[in-house]
Amino acid sequence: MKNSEFYIGWMPKAPASFAKQVKSVLFILFPLAIIVGLVLASFQKKFSTANFEFGKSTEIKGIYINSPVPMLKVVNGKDIWGNASFISIPLVGYGKHGAETAIMQLEKEKNTSFNNKELTMKGTLLYSDGKTLLQVSKEENPVISIGKDADVLSLPKQTDLGIQKIKGEIIDPKCYFGVMKPGEGKVHRDCAIRCILGGIPPVLKVMNEKGEMNYYLVVGANGERMNEAVRDFVAEPVEIEARAVQQDDWVILYVKDKNIKRVSSISLYRSEDQIASCVGGCIK
Amino acid sequence: MSAGYTAVGWNRQKKLYDWFIFGFCVLYLISFILVTACINPDYTFETVLIRSTSTLAVLLLHVILSIGPLARMNKKFLPLLYNRRHLGVTMFCIAAVHGVFSIIQFHALGHVNPFVSLFTSNTNFFSLSGFPFQSLGFFALIIFFLMAVTSHDFWLHNLSPKVWKTLHMFVYLAYCLIVMHVMLGVIQYETHPVFVLLIAAGSLWLISLHLIVGRREIKKDNEKFGLANEGFVAVCDAGEFEEGRAKIFCIDEERIAVYKHENKLYAIHNVCKHQGGPLGEGKIIDGCITCPWHGYQYLPNNGQSPPPFTEKVSTYDVRVEDMKVWVNPKPFAEGTERPGAVIN
Repeated sequence: MKNSEFYIGWMPKAPASFAKQVKSVLFILFPLAIIVGLVLASFQKKFSTANFEFGKSTEIKGIYINSPVPMLKVVNGKDIWGNASFISIPLVGYGKHGAETAIMQLEKEKNTSFNNKELTMKGTLLYSDGKTLLQVSKEENPVISIGKDADVLSLPKQTDLGIQKIKGEIIDPKCYFGVMKPGEGKVHRDCAIRCILGGIPPVLKVMNEKGEMNYYLVVGANGERMNEAVRDFVAEPVEIEARAVQQDDWVILYVKDKNIKRVSSISLYRSEDQIASCVGGCIK
Repeated sequence: MSAGYTAVGWNRQKKLYDWFIFGFCVLYLISFILVTACINPDYTFETVLIRSTSTLAVLLLHVILSIGPLARMNKKFLPLLYNRRHLGVTMFCIAAVHGVFSIIQFHALGHVNPFVSLFTSNTNFFSLSGFPFQSLGFFALIIFFLMAVTSHDFWLHNLSPKVWKTLHMFVYLAYCLIVMHVMLGVIQYETHPVFVLLIAAGSLWLISLHLIVGRREIKKDNEKFGLANEGFVAVCDAGEFEEGRAKIFCIDEERIAVYKHENKLYAIHNVCKHQGGPLGEGKIIDGCITCPWHGYQYLPNNGQSPPPFTEKVSTYDVRVEDMKVWVNPKPFAEGTERPGAVIN
């Protein structure tokens, strides 16, 4: 550097040697920084294929089941013997809220219980990995019509699968099955806790030995909601000991509060544990 | 320097600097979003916005924290230092987009206020794997906000340089919070090692850079001056000075800049009143000692900024005897006239 060259920021131009140095640095730094960005973008975990039909309202007719979580049992084609097959669509509320409060208010307004009745409802669908949920908002008058009581054959069929120990991650199904990507893991933990505390039923996500995901609704030992009880375990690897009951296409875990414990995340990937993790035929 | 108040003293260099930052940020964000969209057709815009702004803000923070030590090592980085605050404000704006969108995404539309939710959803403060990492990012954003709003010289003058500098040193606390925010958050979600490697490389780079520069400064400050006579300390030979330039001596833990100007030596306190820049690394321009950081100027004979400016620094006595330079480390009051020592 020549003695005469001295940089002053308030002068209109930098001395030639300073300008040259800065240009050289930027010539390297600029593409390097862009490359870092491209590398980070390239190595992100894959986004899930979940869907949230934001802004689109869909009408669904089914049997409203109140317990253990609000859901619609909907005819979904026929099975190989020609009998009607059903899917159960749990209901969730707007934002980070469960559907229970809205349904209770609507029942009060209509002066009737919806339980086990045929209902036509409208809301926003969210779905992924074989599971479908419906977001209903009281402000949008989601109940279009209330039909007759369902016949006994159409009511939920339950099969007791006994006491099981299952390892997995507790998620909030609304975000996981459509609203957010990612809707799981550490980055989503706060949101999942907020959703579950807001009344969205917790779901245990379990991976079997083939890497397939299975989902189990989590409720208390007597079917009561245990959203508050799971808050400290959300988005962490846990083991749940519960009575597993298959209810149509969902498996419901009836858990006593203290039968949830943290486990190491590595244990979720041990094949011997995964076999134990998979109950109810790992229903998809 | 400007006598009148102007919000930003725009000049060609500033405009170039800002256009470059703007162009880079736009290009980065577009590249990130496009690559994400191509590789992940199922992406959601809010997630990719949160991720692109977060990575850009962290990248800019590393650049910002590198400029200081690089400019200490090589003066030719000074053009990057001069407008560093523009880079800082840009980084805050980008980090704010990340923060606001994250709070909306993860905490809005619940049954409690989003800010209450931020601190009450996850209360697992005693677990590394479960730690509520979002609160760390929130506190870092508050620090960046305070730095951004006080980045103008208006606040520098009103808060006093000492308070202002102390506040802006909190950037290092904010950096630590950001590293923990990343390590306890996204690093626990993403499985590819590139994420942890990049953040570790960034931290290692900054720590190494600061340690190298700090070691150099300490070495300079620990230089021993043997002879002392009537309060004067022999520092070097008079022949070692260049016209219009200075040498810095640390005596009794105080840095003193000794300038040669028109065959005389003048000593002033080395710390600029503006942002604490090293006056001894400046140059005499138009008869004034000019700070290398932001161009603040002082007269060598009395340490006062030329009128109408009012900044003053301490002056010291210098003697030259048999071509040996002697400095008395006892400071005179700021702005005190000293005659300077003639070099024979």
